[in-house]
Amino acid sequence: MSYGKKDEDADTGLVKIDRTQVFQEARLFNTSPIQPRRCRILLTKIGLLLYTGEKFPSTEATTLFFGISKLFQNKDASLRQMVHLIIKELASSAEDIIMVTSTIMKDTGGSTDAIYRPNAIRALCRIIDATTVQSIERVLKTAIVDKNPTVSSAALVSSYHLLPIAREVVKRWQSETQEAAASTKSSGGFSLGFSSSSANLPVNNSTMTQYHAIGLLYQMRMHDRMALVKMVQQFGAAGAMKNPAAIVMLVRLAAQLAEEDAQLRRPMMQLLDGWLRHKSEMVNFEAAKAICDMRDVTDAEVSQAVHVLQLFLTSPRAVTKFAALRILHNIASFKPHVVNVCNPDIELLISNSNRSIATFAITTLLKTGNEASVDRLMKQISGFMSEITDEFKITIVEAIRTLCLKFPSKQAGMLQFLSGVLRDEGGYEFKRAVVESMFDLIKFVPESKEEALAHLCEFIEDCEFTKLAVRILHLLGVEGPKTSQPTKYIRYIYNRVVLENAIVRAAAVTALAKFGVGQKDPEVKRSVDVLLTRCLDDVDDEVRDRAALNLSLMHEEDELATRFVKNDSMFSLPYFEHQLVMYVTSDDKSVFDDSFDVSKIPIVTREQADAEDRTKKLTATTPSLKPPKTGPTKAAPSAADAAASATATAQKQAQELLAIPELKEFGAVLKSSPVVELTEAETEYVVSVVKHIFKEHIVLQYEVKNTLPDTVLENVSVVATPSDEEELQEMFIIQAEKLSTDEPGKIYVAFQKVNGEGSLPICTFSNVLKFTSKEIDPTSGEPEETGYDDEYEVSEFDLSGADYVVPAFASNFAHIWEQVGAQGEEAEETLQLSGMKSIADATEQLAKALSLQPLEGTDVPVNQTTHTLKLLGKTVGGGRVVASVRMAYSSKTGVTTKITVRSEEEGVAALVIGSVA
Amino acid sequence: MAPTYHEEPELMKLPRATEMDVTMIGLQNAGKTSLLRVLSGGEFAIDSIPTVGFNMKRLQRGHVTLKCWDLGGQPRFRPMWERYCRNVNAIVFIVDIADVDVLPMAREELHSLMSQPSLDGIPLLVLGNKSDLPNKLTVDELIDAMDLKNIAHREVSCYGISAKEETNLEAVLQWLMKFANSKK
Repeated sequence: MSYGKKDEDADTGLVKIDRTQVFQEARLFNTSPIQPRRCRILLTKIGLLLYTGEKFPSTEATTLFFGISKLFQNKDASLRQMVHLIIKELASSAEDIIMVTSTIMKDTGGSTDAIYRPNAIRALCRIIDATTVQSIERVLKTAIVDKNPTVSSAALVSSYHLLPIAREVVKRWQSETQEAAASTKSSGGFSLGFSSSSANLPVNNSTMTQYHAIGLLYQMRMHDRMALVKMVQQFGAAGAMKNPAAIVMLVRLAAQLAEEDAQLRRPMMQLLDGWLRHKSEMVNFEAAKAICDMRDVTDAEVSQAVHVLQLFLTSPRAVTKFAALRILHNIASFKPHVVNVCNPDIELLISNSNRSIATFAITTLLKTGNEASVDRLMKQISGFMSEITDEFKITIVEAIRTLCLKFPSKQAGMLQFLSGVLRDEGGYEFKRAVVESMFDLIKFVPESKEEALAHLCEFIEDCEFTKLAVRILHLLGVEGPKTSQPTKYIRYIYNRVVLENAIVRAAAVTALAKFGVGQKDPEVKRSVDVLLTRCLDDVDDEVRDRAALNLSLMHEEDELATRFVKNDSMFSLPYFEHQLVMYVTSDDKSVFDDSFDVSKIPIVTREQADAEDRTKKLTATTPSLKPPKTGPTKAAPSAADAAASATATAQKQAQELLAIPELKEFGAVLKSSPVVELTEAETEYVVSVVKHIFKEHIVLQYEVKNTLPDTVLENVSVVATPSDEEELQEMFIIQAEKLSTDEPGKIYVAFQKVNGEGSLPICTFSNVLKFTSKEIDPTSGEPEETGYDDEYEVSEFDLSGADYVVPAFASNFAHIWEQVGAQGEEAEETLQLSGMKSIADATEQLAKALSLQPLEGTDVPVNQTTHTLKLLGKTVGGGRVVASVRMAYSSKTGVTTKITVRSEEEGVAALVIGSVA
Repeated sequence: MAPTYHEEPELMKLPRATEMDVTMIGLQNAGKTSLLRVLSGGEFAIDSIPTVGFNMKRLQRGHVTLKCWDLGGQPRFRPMWERYCRNVNAIVFIVDIADVDVLPMAREELHSLMSQPSLDGIPLLVLGNKSDLPNKLTVDELIDAMDLKNIAHREVSCYGISAKEETNLEAVLQWLMKFANSKK
């Protein structure tokens, strides 16, 4: 164990103990005969030093250790305990500690009731090294099944610590561990009584041994799922385990098994459900939490857990209420309707004197409540905002931010609340959360824009955080010129130039310039000119440079300047980051010969970035953190990460395409579809396809994996036949030369759109894999000379309307709906989606299938029976596509939808509907 | 303040038993642990496991307590011998006289240990163990093989013994007891 940081407060009020002095006193150990009492006190001092973070240098530790080893086998049992304890702590810093192995081993056995046996066992596992573990195997095996629980626990925990150095040896102790877990002896527990009067172990009534045994068993069987299942079922049976902590461990294990294997989900769920009614609260909470954290948990599954938690809400103990509420708060993020039933109980807690409970109560209600209750809750929160810590404040602000996006109509009240808390005291993290929430309001709820900007202006007047001031100034620069009264903001911005530090001044200059460049109003333009000219006298280089550059840009007044200052496109950040990381972490030295090429990073428009950003923010509120697992499993990637990596893959594919010379002349990829699997995952050849749409061409990218062992496929190509050959003409196939076992390869088939760039061909492709199969000679490892030609037919796939559309974001749906309706065309379709289990399901699936962006928060259905989904996208040609989907749900018929699509381009509306019909 | 402890009065100590430290060393498999077990009245065991580090046993002979430190003989423990030999009343070096091949190694280890200035003057007893086995060395041959004549600054004796048959063990104890009051 390491006590890495020295505890500075530890020695106040205690005897002052000095390391060098103690080291001097340690000569006492060498005197003969041994004086047990004095030695014990000295050992205690050493222990105190070690536990408060003092470190003995290696030479001193070694000298101490050899001194202490003289004390072995003393008749005084307490001295023996102390010796073991200190040896254990010195084990990491002293040299040659292995010397005491044989001696300590003697103390682990001996008379059965000796009090120092557990201490000896614990010390033993610390001093042993991998090569000598075998020599203590017998000792530990016996100790694990010892009838005294204290000894047994010590042995189990020690085995656990031995795992990293001798996993194979420890794994041989399974049957002993199993026995320890199953034993329901109850005559021991934890006692650290260093009593010198009695050398016997005190009576111990703990069942903690079971917990330790379960923990060790898990470590041993970690990689054997069947064994784990057996273990959960055996020990999970009612009455098999007495110790609640051990059951908590089983709960976590059951949850993990259910997560990893769909087959096990049902039996594990049953167990979890049973544990909800266990007599220990600890177990109830863990089971409820496990159920709520289960992936794709259904309402029915979760309702029992919620019911149990609801009962705890009325418990007299604060900690119980808090625990229950915290779990409810978590589920409320993604299943608010399930938590609804608890609302009356939660209501009672919003004025609880415990602020942590009150905070969670309110944020939970914010998530579960309807639009009407929002105002009342906001009022309640404002009441005690000043009494809670920053951390809780951030929780509340985050909740409100999600709410803003969900109920845009409530923006006024929320904005007022946010601006209120912005004036409160608070640290950087808190202020940042508030400011970011306001940014989101400005971005996604246009009605709030002007007022929110005004609040932010006021905030930077007195803002101690440079980082925040810079970000706000940037935002003012972007949004300010688009408002009705840009001059209002110029004053605020210029104030910063006068009053702030150089970093903020530089940001302010850039923001000012955005008002000047491309400004139609000569009056405004002149003022900006005057202000920027003043900045030329600034003391800071950067500020002066920026002012000079922007002034000349203002005077140039051409297309280039406007594009430079008011750039509306940006780099695709996830991909940019990925490329940079790849660059700096490259193992290949030659990569650094060329500098990083930023021009290879794809550029996206702000609209696209916003659409992604918004989805990410709404999904990020669903719990992405899993509870600590019992084993080292990979943390599930959060929704946000998943979104980021999806974009990164798409961009990477695009880069790969550009690297192929034949495809270069097609120009940029306008749209790449998600991966479509054309075979089952376990067939001989696994095939998937991605459809890339270019201006005048369509490229099908097949990924083929040969899963047959000892065969090589050569000259692999795909014959893709479109159902409508009038519109698409095959140009060429780039085949994969050679596919070894389990090494995926790519094949490209390019088609030309016969009717030119405007056409959007829709058809079905049938696909046949053609290749030469050669077996590998097992003796030489080389493929045989001759093979045979073979064909392999895979599933068909469609090229549909959705393949030509990309999601786009806009803040005002109704406006666009009318606009597009006025000049474009409309198509309508009514569909019966009997497969969908809920409105939420249908919403998600439809948005994905249509490849359109949900607007105005309609991706989060509020009502469970009817819902209108509003969608927007753009075709690859740039024409807008809007869709309004009305849905109704009944348990008998599933989801009935009526989809209306309007498009600016001719024929597109029908095409898009075609992709779901 | 830490509580103070009074030393027991000098008078009380006098009738007490004398305690002496003896360190037992030698290459692995020489029979150190077995010898100690037999000396302390235990049964001879043929399959004892190699000592990891050291063992400590107390032997009671009349009013004298012998604290015997039995150190591991494997190469990794040999550098630690010196530390456990400091300030002891006697050092016992045990040699397997039925295993001629390891004798040069034993000699080298013994001489390098005896050249340590910290161990000057400490009496040395070299025991040729396993005298019950055939093809063993005699005591004189052992003295030559170990080059005991060249060990200076201390009293040196050499006996042939058998821990298994318990031959000559009494002489060993007698020799050790001579140094009961000679602690440096």
